[in-house]
Amino acid sequence: MKHCYIHIPFCQNICSYCDFCKVLYNEELVNKYLLYLEREINSIYKNDILDTIYIGGGTPSSLNVKQLDKLLKILTKLKQSKTIEYSIECNFSSITLEKLNLFKKYGINRLSFGLESINSKNLKILERTESKRQIIKIIELCKKLGFTNINIDLMYAIPKESIKDLQADLDFILALDVSHISTYSLIIEPHTKLAINRVNYIDEDLDYKMYQLICKNLADNYDHYEISNFAKKGFQSKHNLCYWQNKNYYGFGLGASSYIGTTRINNTKSLTKYLQDKYILNYENLTKNDIMSYEMILGLRLLQGINKDQFKEKYAKDIYDAFPIINNLLNKNLLVDDGNSIYIKEDKVYVSNEILINFIKE
Amino acid sequence: MKKENIRNFCIIAHIDHGKSTLADRILEKTGAISKRELKEQMLDDMDIERERGITIKLNAVQIKYKYNDEEYYLHLIDTPGHVDFSYEVSRSLAACEGALLVVDASQGIEAQTLANLYLALDNNLTVIPVINKIDLPNADLEKVIKELENIGFSREEIVLTSAKTGEGIDTLLESIIKKIPAPKGDETAPLKALIFDSVFDPYKGVVVSIRVVDGVVKTKDIIKMMQTKANYEVVGLTINNPKETSVEALSAGEVGYLSASIKSINHVKVGDTITLKDDPASIALPGYKEMKPMVYCGFYPIESNRFEDLREALEKLKLNDASLVFDPETSKALGFGFRCGFLGLLHMEIIEERIEREFNIDLIATSPSVIYEVLLTDKSKIIVDAPTKMPDRSLIAKTYEPYVKTSIFSPKEYIGPIMELCQDKRGTFINMDYLDESRVTIYYELPLSEIVYDFFDKLKSYTKGYASFDYELIGYKESNLVKMDILLNGEIVDALSVIVHKDFAYQRGKLVVEKLKEIIPRQMFEVPIQAAIGTHVIARTDIKAMRKNVLAKCYGGDVTRKKKLLEKQKAGKKRMKQIGSVEVPQEAFLSILATTDKK
Repeated sequence: MKHCYIHIPFCQNICSYCDFCKVLYNEELVNKYLLYLEREINSIYKNDILDTIYIGGGTPSSLNVKQLDKLLKILTKLKQSKTIEYSIECNFSSITLEKLNLFKKYGINRLSFGLESINSKNLKILERTESKRQIIKIIELCKKLGFTNINIDLMYAIPKESIKDLQADLDFILALDVSHISTYSLIIEPHTKLAINRVNYIDEDLDYKMYQLICKNLADNYDHYEISNFAKKGFQSKHNLCYWQNKNYYGFGLGASSYIGTTRINNTKSLTKYLQDKYILNYENLTKNDIMSYEMILGLRLLQGINKDQFKEKYAKDIYDAFPIINNLLNKNLLVDDGNSIYIKEDKVYVSNEILINFIKE
Repeated sequence: MKKENIRNFCIIAHIDHGKSTLADRILEKTGAISKRELKEQMLDDMDIERERGITIKLNAVQIKYKYNDEEYYLHLIDTPGHVDFSYEVSRSLAACEGALLVVDASQGIEAQTLANLYLALDNNLTVIPVINKIDLPNADLEKVIKELENIGFSREEIVLTSAKTGEGIDTLLESIIKKIPAPKGDETAPLKALIFDSVFDPYKGVVVSIRVVDGVVKTKDIIKMMQTKANYEVVGLTINNPKETSVEALSAGEVGYLSASIKSINHVKVGDTITLKDDPASIALPGYKEMKPMVYCGFYPIESNRFEDLREALEKLKLNDASLVFDPETSKALGFGFRCGFLGLLHMEIIEERIEREFNIDLIATSPSVIYEVLLTDKSKIIVDAPTKMPDRSLIAKTYEPYVKTSIFSPKEYIGPIMELCQDKRGTFINMDYLDESRVTIYYELPLSEIVYDFFDKLKSYTKGYASFDYELIGYKESNLVKMDILLNGEIVDALSVIVHKDFAYQRGKLVVEKLKEIIPRQMFEVPIQAAIGTHVIARTDIKAMRKNVLAKCYGGDVTRKKKLLEKQKAGKKRMKQIGSVEVPQEAFLSILATTDKK
């Protein structure tokens, strides 16, 4: 096991679209949560040396300095390889020089900022606040402190957003010159404020145009390596790759998921239960066929696709024997086999579900 | 049982006018059944009937009732209430001496009721007019009484009831005994028993509902069906009071059920006469008609491996429904299925729903078609009950389509819209009768295909639901008919072809392609939809290519959720039919019935 995800479910502000596992920040609750997080880690972690640690949320940076110090101290129990990618999610309104220095001290080397948009119309719908000036200042500060690996999240296809609005967001983000950009079209999830207010999706054709605009804007400086992810050379997210490459990972904290051996485990999303040590919600024991199915639906999210030799090595089975349907999909030009790997071409990535469902059993 | 103390009667009413509730109340009042046992509407025993408020299969109940110290036997024969089943209605009427004409106190008389009243009068039945639902706040007794007076009843003979509260039920029972004549008939004459319904029972075989007109039938008798010539030994005779009770014999005037290990419903035809093999009656009872399907459509299982299951389902339904016919057919688009014939559209919908619900088979029903006649250039005539059977245009000399005479019953303010509608539907006006100052019956001749298409829905929307209608087949007329094909991605989808009048083809084609565009989801590529007559395209639209179907968000490694979303999408696809390279949802096949120009 080489990968570990830590979930910090606290936020200073709840965004209208968010269906992640989160609660409003409360100092006492955070302190209690950290105690139970430590207990969970102690009971499960097996002293593996980790290549990636990813602290996600919620908003991990919403914790105060003392709490962050406590959290990172707990995580020193996790053994780090020399080349570790150690990430933490932040937002611009809660990050400070003091916190950044603390991250440095504990060896965090990758920062991921939820920016989403700088367009005031969009921010109003998303119920977020961002200040361009502050963003520029903080990114400069991070770089000055030596953080070379920085991700920024961009959201698009927000109701009433125009191509022009998106272009302005892209121009701003490109100017920040960070090493990694993740883009997401807005999903209106059930039970979120947007869904309750019956907000509608933008037109499918416009959504696709926006996606094309993003690909075009980022093409020069970034490699489009996964459906929603773009990275400068050498800056792909090693942690996220572990998901797409169907590798094992720990997941600690409220609502976290882990994949241990052949079992996929989802933690409870109930804070009350979590604070009673009842952290497991459900788990799925996978057969070899299940695992191969995951290999396909996850691996085909990567533009480089699935390496045929590696597949054979991993499962002692030829990929075509495991999934004869690949032949049909090649004939329909939905998949490509370049001799080494099987992949979805960039122009079909945005309808990839149509392809992926062929690898799901009935 | 003294013949003088028997009363055989039925209830004539429009759907929703409270026929079944009234029957229940009579059962309850006479102590035949307790309130607790009374599932709402005891007489309708299929779920769909109860849900749709229509009686599909008949039922006969014996009720004992003491009046003036005499014990009377009332046989209540339930009748179906929809125009599709009017022949069955006429046969159950023929089993009675009297009928209750039930009219809703707030709605008044409807076309259906009137049509069945005339059927009852044709059968020389004594009719007791009943105004039901008098408890309703919007009941308009004076108006309804006037209507009844206008069709020849006197104010005095009208019985007022509320099946809901039980008011008037005693008076009603009293008038049944006083006014409806006891059955005539001769116990000593050779047996003549009318078949007015049948039901398949897995243990007894076909159970036949009979009304003995002359003679006596006993268990162990060898009986003969006079139409089908089939012979059987009577195994059991029962009555329903309303629990099943065995009896030794049924004699002239009585109503009951007969079982004789009859395996095939084809030997049991409603309207046929049962007699004894060794002592046969010389002539059968009048009024027998062969029931012929009026509407045909294709039924196809969405999952092609369920073809045999579909056959089994149809066979099982046919056990109880002699009017359902089916034959295997193949469609290029849909694979193996059955061409099924029905008495009407409602009959078709009921069968479709039962197959999906009771047998759990997802179905595609192709658009309904009537039976056309085509005179070929070589002077031979062929029958066309499916668009695919329409010959090439070069071989056709003349085409004919079935026409019906409709009587549309409506408040007079809708005369204009109704005439406009009938004119749109290629109708020919015949005449118009005023029932009173405010109500009219309008008679039109219309092509049956227009009725099958959307006439009923349109009539309802043109008249805000106030008009009702009834129709009877009057024969074939020459008509300029063409086959219109629908092409998806350049290929003809045979299951979507339809026969239309040439003058209306352009308009229909446009409607259908637009409707299909709405129903068929975007595919991985652009899909043109065309309507064509022969090689001539008359309408076209395109379904745009799918632009987005992606799970973009990844969160903390929760990949099981991603998989679940994909599984859901996959399950959705299973309900679609792959035609060529296009995935088509099942509703698409009825889009030929699409109408958008609702008023």
